Amino acid sequence: MQDTDHHPLPDAKQYCPTLALRKANEEGALLVDVRERDEIEALALDVAGVINIPMSEFERRHAELPRDRLLVLVCAVGERSLKATYLLMYRGYTQVANLEGGLAQWVRKGFPVKGDSTAVAAGGCACAKAIPAAGSGRC
Amino acid sequence: MKDIKVLGTGCANCKATIALIEQVAKARQVEVKVEKVEELREIMGYGVMSTPGVVIDGKVVHAGGIPGRDKIEQWLAA
Repeated sequence: MQDTDHHPLPDAKQYCPTLALRKANEEGALLVDVRERDEIEALALDVAGVINIPMSEFERRHAELPRDRLLVLVCAVGERSLKATYLLMYRGYTQVANLEGGLAQWVRKGFPVKGDSTAVAAGGCACAKAIPAAGSGRC
Repeated sequence: MKDIKVLGTGCANCKATIALIEQVAKARQVEVKVEKVEELREIMGYGVMSTPGVVIDGKVVHAGGIPGRDKIEQWLAA
């Protein structure tokens, strides 16, 4: 067999905010926010057990994350966190999921945040154009 | 023939990387098959966080930024 760096990955699991919050509250899932520090200062998830590892440090620091807990990756709209989710899958993490629609969807659902919720609606990252239309990420 | 994959979601740097590899291959008369990989899941299947990434015969040889011409020449000479 050819020696290769390619490990085919299945599609990442996508959680809606309702499922993510339930997993955090009832099953001890950790929410991993990969937004940068300035974004988190403006608006943060108001849930116990949130871990912040900015995307710019994620490749170097992802090993800090436990392998025996469900991890739900979060960013502003769910694009950077999807990449982070796949990186963890590539590195052998099996209990990982992406928060579909990111913090924008979380805010639309009225879930708990600290800070100015317009910060995320204004587009906290370069991929802001990918914010789904209101209601399209319903679950 | 070298099987080359350029990993990236379609940014300008990815296109420039493909063009540069093809240019160097032509100049050195090396046969290459260059393929674009643009789907995130496929890209991450190589564990590459920074794009463009370059994969030659299944091995990741580069990640992040347009590779230098000298680097490409080394890949094609190997």
